[in-house]
Amino acid sequence: MAEIKADEVLDVKGLSCPMPMLKIKKALEKLASGKILEVWGTDPGTKNELKKYCEKEGHELLLVSDESGYTRFLIKKK
Amino acid sequence: MGYFKDTFSEFYSSVIKSNWSPITGGILIALFAILLEMWGRPWGIIAGIRNWGEWFWYWVGVIDEEPIHPLWSSASVINIGFLLGAFISANLAYEFGIRIPPFLEIIKGIIGGILMGIGGALARGCNIGGFYTPFTNLSASAIPMMIGLMIGALVGVKYLLWEIEHLPSKGGTEISLKKLNPILGIIALIVLIWGGYAYFHSEDEMGALLGGSMFFAAGIGYAMHRSRICFVAAFREPFLSGEATLARAIILSMFLAMIGILFIKLLEIMPPMVYVPQTFILGALIGGFIFGIGMVIAGGCGSGSLFRVAEGQVKLIIAVIFFALTNALVRYYMDYVWKIWDKGILGKKVFLPDYLGYSGAFILLSLVLLLWYIFVTWNEKSEKFVIGI
Repeated sequence: MAEIKADEVLDVKGLSCPMPMLKIKKALEKLASGKILEVWGTDPGTKNELKKYCEKEGHELLLVSDESGYTRFLIKKK
Repeated sequence: MGYFKDTFSEFYSSVIKSNWSPITGGILIALFAILLEMWGRPWGIIAGIRNWGEWFWYWVGVIDEEPIHPLWSSASVINIGFLLGAFISANLAYEFGIRIPPFLEIIKGIIGGILMGIGGALARGCNIGGFYTPFTNLSASAIPMMIGLMIGALVGVKYLLWEIEHLPSKGGTEISLKKLNPILGIIALIVLIWGGYAYFHSEDEMGALLGGSMFFAAGIGYAMHRSRICFVAAFREPFLSGEATLARAIILSMFLAMIGILFIKLLEIMPPMVYVPQTFILGALIGGFIFGIGMVIAGGCGSGSLFRVAEGQVKLIIAVIFFALTNALVRYYMDYVWKIWDKGILGKKVFLPDYLGYSGAFILLSLVLLLWYIFVTWNEKSEKFVIGI
């Protein structure tokens, strides 16, 4: 999974609800279909919220990985 | 031995480590709120936070009279229990870390905290002490509070949407403490149990009340953090994304808690006027409005801020500090210097059963919950009031 290169990286580390999801949605809106967004976050709530959002909107949640000091998400826009 | 280890692993990952659904959280919160009220006193958050703020103003000489000691103030003790419960939940699930946000978020923490301090003073409570608990305790003030909160939340959402378009986006940082989490969680559990033991065995007559209250509050804190039930999100999301899941979980929780507390009051286990604040109608309406704006900017109300403090979110630590300082100062002036409550400027105490009987009160408040449920569910489908993304 480390081979997947993101088209855009969004840093929402340190941010708490609702900012991470708001910024992720805005970034996804701007992205072209099929492109990949990488997100770095630290809010424990983001994992579930993002999973539900991707299911609802049809985006693909390619990766959720716990790194040191943040969680790394890879989302492919539908 | 292997079987035991596997079962424990499975239990740990499905119960302790995973997030509970909001409905599960809502039901457990209602249960603990009923037990807490029956045992000692109704659930509140702001009074405990104010106690801590009062100590600061006392130390700097603004307040003359020494406040109640934080370990002997029931309000403070239930907050300590809540914090311990949420902290244990966070640590046992490896969710605790020091999260430092960018500068703009810190400013929002300060402003949000101040607004919540002011709004919470006018309404004599936050989302819990001014809304959840008065509602379940059959106070009419919860209705204007709800309206104020909704309008305030809408204003807050408008601000957030403006902010993400116009202000720069930066990330902050996290000081990861994952390896220490289980130890911290176990230490907190020991502190909780030992604290309870100390209260129950103390010579003070309040000991048992405080000990039990601390345990039930810890249950609320644990359930709230595990399910991430957020009152702010319940009011905010219908306008922001249309999502009504959290609102529905809170509606269910309030319905269940109301039934339990109705019986507590009917059977006179608790005095009827308990948690019927003197804020019907202006204090609740205006206070709710100001609090609603503040909570959306801060990203947490009284309960939501505390459970985020317990998982290490620095923005909310700052919000709670300013919330405490502001609320203590404003209440000091309102209570003793301007004598707002004696003058009755912000409203009256209206205990609904006095006007409608217990059944009438129950029917009215259930209708309010039903209307709220219908509104958020309809809005989720039609997106009529959704102004966000």
